[in-house]
Parts: sequence; structure tokens; C-alpha cells
Amino acid sequence: MAKKVGVYICKGCGIGEALDVDALAKVASKEYKAPVVKTCDVLCAPEGIELIKQDLAGEGVNLVVIAGCSARVNYDHFDFGPEILVERVNLREQVVWTQPPDDEDTQMMAEDYMRMTLAKTKNLELPEPFIGENLSKAILVVGGGLAGMTAALEAANAGHQVILVEKESALGGWLNKVYKIAPLAAPFTELQDPDVEARVQAINDNPRIKVYTGATIASTAGAPGMFDVTINTAGGEVTERVGAIVLATGARPYDPEKLGHLGYGQFADVITQAQLEELVKAEGKVVRPSSKEEAVKVAFIQCAGSRDPEHLPYCSAACCVESIKQALYVKEQNPEAAVYVFYKDIRSSGQYEHFYKQAQMQGVVFVKADVESIEEGEGGKLAVNAQDLMMGAPTLLDEVDVVVLANGMVPSTLVDENLPPEEQTRILNLKYRQGPELPTLKYGFPDSHFICFPYETRRTGIYAAGSVRRPMDMLQAVEDATGAALKAIQCVEMTARGMAVHPRSGDLSFPEFMMSRCTQCKRCTEECPFGAINEDEKANPLPNPTRCRRCGTCMGACPERIISFKNYSVPMIGNMVKAIEVPEEDEEKPRVLIFACENDAIPALDMAGINRLNYSKWVRIIPVRCLGSLNLVWVNDAMSKGIDGVLLLGCKHGDDYQCHFMKGSELAGIRLSKVSETLDRLGLESERVQMEEVSIMDYDKIPGIIERFIEKIEEFGPNPMKGF
Amino acid sequence: MADNNVSSAPIKYDHNFAQEFFSTENGRLAQKCMQCGMCAVSCATKDLMDHSPRRLFNLVRAGKKDEVLGSNTMWMCTSCCTCKVRCPRGIPLVDVMHDLKNMAIAQNYVSYPQAAFYQAFWQEVLNRGRAFEGGVMARYYLKRGWGEIKKAFEMKDLGMSMLKHGRLPMVPPRKIKGLKELQQIIEKAQALQRKEAK
Repeated sequence: MAKKVGVYICKGCGIGEALDVDALAKVASKEYKAPVVKTCDVLCAPEGIELIKQDLAGEGVNLVVIAGCSARVNYDHFDFGPEILVERVNLREQVVWTQPPDDEDTQMMAEDYMRMTLAKTKNLELPEPFIGENLSKAILVVGGGLAGMTAALEAANAGHQVILVEKESALGGWLNKVYKIAPLAAPFTELQDPDVEARVQAINDNPRIKVYTGATIASTAGAPGMFDVTINTAGGEVTERVGAIVLATGARPYDPEKLGHLGYGQFADVITQAQLEELVKAEGKVVRPSSKEEAVKVAFIQCAGSRDPEHLPYCSAACCVESIKQALYVKEQNPEAAVYVFYKDIRSSGQYEHFYKQAQMQGVVFVKADVESIEEGEGGKLAVNAQDLMMGAPTLLDEVDVVVLANGMVPSTLVDENLPPEEQTRILNLKYRQGPELPTLKYGFPDSHFICFPYETRRTGIYAAGSVRRPMDMLQAVEDATGAALKAIQCVEMTARGMAVHPRSGDLSFPEFMMSRCTQCKRCTEECPFGAINEDEKANPLPNPTRCRRCGTCMGACPERIISFKNYSVPMIGNMVKAIEVPEEDEEKPRVLIFACENDAIPALDMAGINRLNYSKWVRIIPVRCLGSLNLVWVNDAMSKGIDGVLLLGCKHGDDYQCHFMKGSELAGIRLSKVSETLDRLGLESERVQMEEVSIMDYDKIPGIIERFIEKIEEFGPNPMKGF
Repeated sequence: MADNNVSSAPIKYDHNFAQEFFSTENGRLAQKCMQCGMCAVSCATKDLMDHSPRRLFNLVRAGKKDEVLGSNTMWMCTSCCTCKVRCPRGIPLVDVMHDLKNMAIAQNYVSYPQAAFYQAFWQEVLNRGRAFEGGVMARYYLKRGWGEIKKAFEMKDLGMSMLKHGRLPMVPPRKIKGLKELQQIIEKAQALQRKEAK
């Protein structure tokens, strides 16, 4: 497209008082020959917007550069439709609000930002959305339990076709295995029937839902909007095309065979919660498994294996409520029965506190204790030895009929490392180069960004819901399924418009590969956090744009620099680096370049400005989509330009990472460890390039981080490449 | 906090006493206790008690009848209601303590002087409709027996001084008008209390 640049400089918010705006305008018009350069008192006011709109219509400007506030504000004011590119120069938060006014260096900084942005516009193109072929808006739900059925119904009621796959012969999942369920509605005190028939009826009555029972998934190929799912059914293989997938395969109880220390396997009357449900369903009441006599003294042992580094390190969140429910079974059949619950901490999350109180009022006794052993007592009954933490004394509960272990849950996606690959659980059988199943975050749960983006897995378009995502009770699973269904709907709708799903929702750009220069090194296919790039038979990368989340990690990985977005590329950022004016050595004005992640570091830098924190006048900041998109050639460019140091501000990584793209900042760290070779070649100290982890809340630490870095750089002295 | 358990054998949980206690009018509500300890940290007289209210409820749960009814906890309670207003479970602790006092007296756990004093005061009020200190004193000493009477003689100087200043009436006051009705009211209230309990 023929670009015509219009530069508009705002004087509001103190910019006009602090900077020489006319000099700034000259940079644009003289140095960069921008055809239209205008200043305005308040650009976001109606007259400012009108000024721009007149030029769009009259002058044919189609690339608007707005020098004023941060790109994180007023973006709605400066939205001129999909045909107009808008670039922002952040004079307010990054210059005027952090630097002294009317100062030579402040003016230099503002002019540099103007140069950098205009240099960037050289290669900037209008993104054209990628629209896949034969896109489907259907949603596949895997797992027909409570979460799966809820997700299917919600998605169908929102007008989408749904395909529901269940491996058992009937829908219902865990609901089929229980006698009663904990209450799902106020007042949260009464047991409820599982009501499977009504739930299944609602699914069957819905014309938009197609159900496959007794079916498994043989393979999942393709990408969001274009998943081709092959389903193994009793009647042979069926292939369905769907747009997004909700994974609701639930969890299974933790293997009780490993709980020998609590008497499991040793005594017939020590059973798990699931076995008690079976027993009550079969017998109609709680009985001793060994003799089928009615139980009058029952002990529940919470955290049987949970919150124990030897077994399950986490809390399963639902077993306490489950035990309370089962304690009420006993009290229902015999109010005089003695029921003891041995717990570490009662976790009755949400509204279940009412349920807990109800059990207490029914006379269930809760004992905070560490259970030490289960022994055989008199008359074939059991005795529970515990250390009562409230009494600070050893205690004994004897003549127990049944001991019930709350053995927690493990996700159905957990892979048993001890089994050979062909015997491991397979659910989706993805045709992704990076492996047939979803990568898991921790303990086998496939969630990826637990706090900020629930339901998101590391495979775009596949959303986890219910107890496969994290341990939860049924009420939470219903809520979860609803959320995941909505995510899946967002995904198919966005994909149909060629937009990225979260976190860059609505982004129309996508990575394009100049395949003729590809050396098939496989770095992009390896490093993509989302498995978006497969390989074709010739070992060339095979991008799936709808799987892509547009973070640019592939762009940072590519040693040949053949991956570019229309509005974000290696040369584009390279030009920005080269546009920085580096003063001569004898002026003693060092320059430090900061590459900052758009998701955390840039907001933190902006907040530093909003709080009027002053930081060094030697820095120049370039926002990047993710530190993972940092190509080392930029460091090279900066050093050969004579810039004295490069600082990378990215997200926390490690176990509790905060990177929006999971691995981006970590990959940047790994690449940085190799940058020393490049710098050695230039004869420079490798400490001139450093990475710091910044969270979005760390705005108050930013000046200190920058200051410390600059001090270090000053020790090394100026970059000898200046002026070459 | 060490338990008063003298033997090293583990404490056996006994459901019987717990059920007995939880069937009283307010003891029923003490089932809701979740052992958070808010009552204990709120209690003004906790340091004088054998067991804080929280521990007392835990002992009830374990079924340690002698420890509970033989403790001075309920006798040290001043009914200030701080624990009651702070209890996150809404247990009316003060009323639970009253139930415990009644239970202790009914089952003859009366080793604490407070037990005798409460009964003396109560009978005095029931007979006259008003409190007469002399009467309360006489009843109290008779209830406590010879040891306590000896202690009373040691306080004779104080007694004489009070007598001189007219602070120790020797003649009982008149009974109130409508004593019969008062007694009926009290009887009715006690009947209600018995009904509330399971």
C-alpha cells in the first residue's frame, strides 16, 4: 500500500510546557520528510480528532503517528477504522512525566522517540487477516460428565453446534457413580439427587448437540477453526470438523493402593470415598463392607495422601465437602451414629461453609488431628490412632465400623511416567509436532496461565474445564464449564475474523515466513510455546496461523530472520535502534536501550510516569510483544551503533511465571546467555546486556533497576563503537 | 498447653458425654464450634480458667466428662458476652456456660465455691423475690461446711465494721409483692428450657 504519514503532536498534559514542540515537529518534517506534521493543544479532544479526520479525508493520510500519551490509553479515540494504521509516540508517560522539563536531554529523548517511531513506519504495513479455509464454528466437548454436559449445553444455547464425546457408554460421568451430591444451590444445607436423567435429557433434547458415547478420539489434526477430529465410535471411525475444543475429562481418585499406611488393602473396612459411594448405591445405606451390617461408627480421614509431598502435594479442594456429604449419609440413616472426621484443615470453599455447619449441627464431630495408624480393634472392628492437635495428646477412636479415606484427585491428563509411551493415557492425540497431548503446568494439570487466563491451555483453541484443569467441586466445575464454553466461542468467532485470541485479542497480524531462505534449523518449531508450527514432509516449518498467539517468539528464534509480521518485524525494530542518535564519546552522554515487554514492563514503566518517578535520561525504550520475540541481531545493531548497554525488562519466569506467552521471557534469558559470543566478537563486555524480571506492580522499582544498570555501564566506560 | 491427662495412654474418644452435652438447650449450638480460638483470646478471665472455652468444647467433643464438668471454666465466666459477640459461628457461649453450670450442679460437680454461692443466691431470690445478703451468706456457708465457716470467723473485723456502718443488715427484708407470680414465671421459664433441650 502507498503510505502517507501524518504526524500529530499533542501539547496537552504538560507536553507543550516541557518540550520544544516546534523542534520536535521539525524532526518529523525535515529529517523524515513526513508530508503532514501538525501540532494541537489537546489531541484527544473532539477538535483534535476532527483535525486528524480532515487529513484522512482531504490529504489521504493513511498512517497516523500520534505523539502524545501512551498507547495504553485513549486507543479508542485514535481508532480510525481498519484501513488506517496508527502508531503512538509516548511523550507523556515516558518523557515528560519522568524527566525534568525544558531540559536539553529531555528534548533529545523526545526527538529520539519521534525518530524511532518514524523509522518504524518505513516497513510498517497494514495487517491483512488470515482467514482459514472451511472454517467451522462447531465446538467439540471431550468428556460427558457434569462439566462436559454443562459446557455442551451452554455452547449450544449460545447458538453453536456442539459435538460431545464420552468414552463411557452413557453420559453423566462421576454423577453416575454417586448416591447423592453436595448441594449446588442455596441454602447449601441439603443433599441433592445427582439427577442424571434430567441432565442427559436436556442434552438429548437440544438439536444442536451431537453425542457420541462409547467413543474416544483417535486423532486431532489442524488448528482452531479447522480442527479435524477423528472419533473412534462403536460404529467405526467418524471425522468431524470443529472450531474449538473444550476438554472436560475430569479427574480420577488418587491410587489408594499407595495408602497402605492408612490401612488400605490391609483391612476390608478401610475404603475410599468413591468405594463408599458405590457401597451406598448398592446397599442403600452405609454398611460395613466386610459384614454388610449397618455402620454406627464411621471415621473419615481427610487428606489421605493429599498435601503430602510423598503423595499428592496439593489440596484437592473437593474431598472435604465430599466427606461432609458422606457423613450426612450416616447421620441420615441413624441420627445416633457416631461420625468422626479427622482433618488437617477443613476446606469448605465457596458457600459450603453452610454445609459444614449443617454437618456439625447434625452431630458430626470434626477432629483436627494427624492420623498415625489404623489398627484392628476388638471384634474385628477398627481403631484409629491419632495425634489430636487441639489437645496436644495422642488419641484413640476405637470400635470403628468403617474408615473412609478422602484420597484426593489426579487429573485425567496426568501421564504416568513409569509406563512406556504406547501405554500412556491418550486423550486428544494431537497431530502437533510438539507432542500428542497438552503440555501440563504442574502435577499433570493442563492449565497454562492459572491466574490471568483460566481455561487456557498451551494449545490455542483447546480449553480445559472442570477438575481436569484444577481440583474442584461440582459447583465450581459448572462455573468452569460455562467459562470454558465462552472461551471456545470467543475462539471460533475470532478465528473466523482472522483475529488472534487472547492475550493479543483482535490482533490481525500473523507471522509470515520467507521460506526460500529457511535453513530448516527447526528453532521456530521447537520454541513456539503453543506448538503452532508443524513440519511438512521436507522438514520445512509449516505454520498454522490460527494456532498462533502472535507473540513473535518464532521471530526471535529465527537465526535467518525470515519470520515477520506486517506490523512487527526484525528490520522494523532494527530501524528503530538505528534511528537513535548516539552522542559522541566526549559529550559523556551514554545511551542505554531498553527492550520492554508490552504486557508487564511497559505498563510498569507507564505507571512510573503516572507516579512522576524520575529515571535516568540516558534510556531509550522499545516495546516488544514479548521478550521471546527479541532477536539477538537487535543487540548487535545497538552495540554497533555505539549504544553503551541494553537492558531487557521481561516477566517473571520459572514455576510461578507471569509471562503471558508462558515461555517467552525464559527463552529470552536462554538466548541472552549466548549473547556473550556476539559481544566478544565486538570486543565488548557481555555484562553490557542484561535482563531483569519486572512484574506489573514493580513500577516503584523501575528507577532503581535502571539506575543500577547505568552505574554498571559507566564502570565499563563508553562503547568504543561510537561514531563508526 | 499440656492436657490434664495424667496417664500416657491415648485419650479415647467417647461419644456419650458429647451427646449428653449437645442435647442441652444451648450446648446444641456449641456443636458449631470450629476451634478458631476467638473466644479464648477475647476472654477476660481466661488466665484463671483451667480450660479456655475453646479447649472446653474440644474436651466435650472428646467426651472427657470429668475434665469438663469438674473444671472452673464456667464458674470463672463473668457473662461479659465478649466471646459471644465475637464468635464467628454465632455460638451463645455465655448461655452455654449457664447450661454447663446447671449440668455441673445437677450431676454434683460442686467443688468450686462459686457453685455454692450461685445456688445460695438463687434460692434466696426464689424465696423472697429479692436478694438479702445475710441470707445469701448464711446459705453459702452452710453449703460449704465447716472449713468455710472457719474462714468467715477470720473476717469478723470486716464484718463488725460493716455492721457499724449499716452495711450488713441483720433483719431480712420483706418479700416482694406478687412473689407467687414471680415463682410461676420462673417455673414457666424452666419448663421452656427443658423443652428446648432435646
